[in-house]
Amino acid sequence: MKNIVLDSGSDTARRNEHRFLVNESVARLALRTSGTYLGLDRDDRPYQWSTTAYLDTYGWNVFRAAEAGKALQLRVREYHRTRPNEILAGGTVYLEMKDDSASTSFKERYEVPTMSLPSYLRGEQKMPRDKNGLVERAERTIADGVRPVVVTQYNRIAYSAPDGSMRITADHNLMYLAIPWVTNDVSSMPCRIGPVIAREPGVIIEVKWFEELPRWADELYSYIRDHMVNERPSKFVVAMRHLLGEKQVGLAT
Amino acid sequence: MNDLAMTPLPGTAKKATSVVVVEDDPASADVLQRRLQANGMKVAVGRDGGQGLALVREIIPDLVLLDVMLPDTDGYDVCLRIKSDGAIAHIPVIFLSARGEVVDKVRGLSCGAADYVTKPWNAAELLARIDAVLLQTRNARPPRLEPMAMRPERTRPMAAVSLRDAARRAAAEKLLAAQFDIAKDGSDAVDLVLVDEGAAPDAGLADAGTAVLVIARGSETPATEFARLDGDLSRHADLLVREMRLVRDMGAAADALITLATSLEAHDRFMMGHSERVAARSVSIAQVLGLDQVAIGTIRLGALLRDVGNAKLPPPIVVKAGELTPHEREAIERHPLLGEELLRHVSPLAPILPIVRWHHERLDGGGYPDHLTAEKIPLEVRIVSVADRFEALLVDRPDRPAVTEQEAVRILQGAVGRGELDPAAVAALAAQVRSAGNPEVEQ
Repeated sequence: MKNIVLDSGSDTARRNEHRFLVNESVARLALRTSGTYLGLDRDDRPYQWSTTAYLDTYGWNVFRAAEAGKALQLRVREYHRTRPNEILAGGTVYLEMKDDSASTSFKERYEVPTMSLPSYLRGEQKMPRDKNGLVERAERTIADGVRPVVVTQYNRIAYSAPDGSMRITADHNLMYLAIPWVTNDVSSMPCRIGPVIAREPGVIIEVKWFEELPRWADELYSYIRDHMVNERPSKFVVAMRHLLGEKQVGLAT
Repeated sequence: MNDLAMTPLPGTAKKATSVVVVEDDPASADVLQRRLQANGMKVAVGRDGGQGLALVREIIPDLVLLDVMLPDTDGYDVCLRIKSDGAIAHIPVIFLSARGEVVDKVRGLSCGAADYVTKPWNAAELLARIDAVLLQTRNARPPRLEPMAMRPERTRPMAAVSLRDAARRAAAEKLLAAQFDIAKDGSDAVDLVLVDEGAAPDAGLADAGTAVLVIARGSETPATEFARLDGDLSRHADLLVREMRLVRDMGAAADALITLATSLEAHDRFMMGHSERVAARSVSIAQVLGLDQVAIGTIRLGALLRDVGNAKLPPPIVVKAGELTPHEREAIERHPLLGEELLRHVSPLAPILPIVRWHHERLDGGGYPDHLTAEKIPLEVRIVSVADRFEALLVDRPDRPAVTEQEAVRILQGAVGRGELDPAAVAALAAQVRSAGNPEVEQ
């Protein structure tokens, strides 16, 4: 069996993370500027589809904690060239844990064989411990019983600094979808996704950095703030509010 | 000219390819429309994304030609809306755009488009690409399920002998004559067709309810649907036809049970027609979730028969309008068990028993009769539970007035938040209500 190892997509330290909803023209300018200073991320093929299934307990513990600004998100991520209408159809997936507070985040992720995923969700298989304690926290949530509850899909373009110190991403065609998941068993896989519960009308720009923003990025950040439609909570929170019919509060316009 | 009107070519007998063009520039749209019509296609033009999407949903065309830059949205968004709507997702989309960068093409194709053609387009190339896309789509289309034809009541079963050899045909007809009427040329669907090995029955003679018996050449009969031309033929054929009839009769028995279940509702003005509405709503939800035809059939029948156990309860309790006493509530909560008991011995109805027994269960374990928790409750049951609660909210009850569909969706979303109902089933319901023209539910 393939070893479960920490993926290069994991963070080595807590990083700043701000998200904005902008229109297409602001997004294009932001991407042109980013492309001048940063390289196109080789791990993110332009406009490839990211499909992320978020996990939560039956009592919505993760969502309620996220609303309070102290969640450990649990999610399963996959990448495709064209938009898939089901999840967990490939050989491996990324099982991610993300400590997501209001403006900073910390992420660990493991590449796991898809067929093993149900046993991780049941808590029968364990991930190797990480030095930041995210796995330990995730195991406590898993012990309460988790399952995929909502899915996001989007096209991403990403620019990253060679040393990984900053990253700017633009997510187009962001959709929030429900998922008719029944049981944490291989019989549930692959699982068809849908229906679409909501769509974002514009582009989500995310600016992520570890220490200080360089001057050009600081100016770009200010420009985006001045021209944004609004600042966004995490995709998970927005998706869950749509799913549960709750108000999208906290979106400054 | 009205852009929204379809413009069929006069005198075209063959079914023309229908195309929806979504293009905001009138001159470009006009040139494209004329070119397509000149090649025998029916064309409707939408001037923006919203209008184009409405046309696609209304016409269900064979193809969509989509501009990227539109006044109200972009073509990528329109393409995604088409590809994520189960009713129209099969329609191929070709982008026609002045944006010719690789990233634009990649983005368009990644949204599910079949092709991406840059402007200015060449007519010959565009038509060739359209033909190629249509051909691929036709080849990929799954066969459609045809409804079972109604068959006439007969005193004796009718058989058709479709054997090539005249002597064998005459022998077979003679062997069958004691128990079967033999069909003449031009007969409708018959109860039994005899065919040679490797041959298929004539489509006009056989439907889904026809038994097909293959007459083997050799002495071996490899399966029950094979027989030899000997004295045993008539008995073999009779058994096969009876088996087929039994399946049909089971369907008739299910119909009788549905009549029993729904007749109970007729005495309760608050519940009249409720089962049919729950069944229709359940089917809609299942379709939005992309379930297959077998599952949808099970859901429909289960929804219709879920409350058949009420037939075994005292009618005054079942139709009581006011608050129930603890004793009465206890009795009412037994109806899923009574229903299952009633249907348990009808083996073809086995797939619907979980719906009958568990449609009042809740994901949080707070339901009845078994207090099951989430993972133990099948998706089909969850769907019927959501439809049942939704439809109940739409009618006046003695203890509360009816609510609108939008309000009912919000109430059920609240129940999802409390961990009672399946989130995807409620999301599918919300999507279905939304697409039925209730934008108030739009998230």
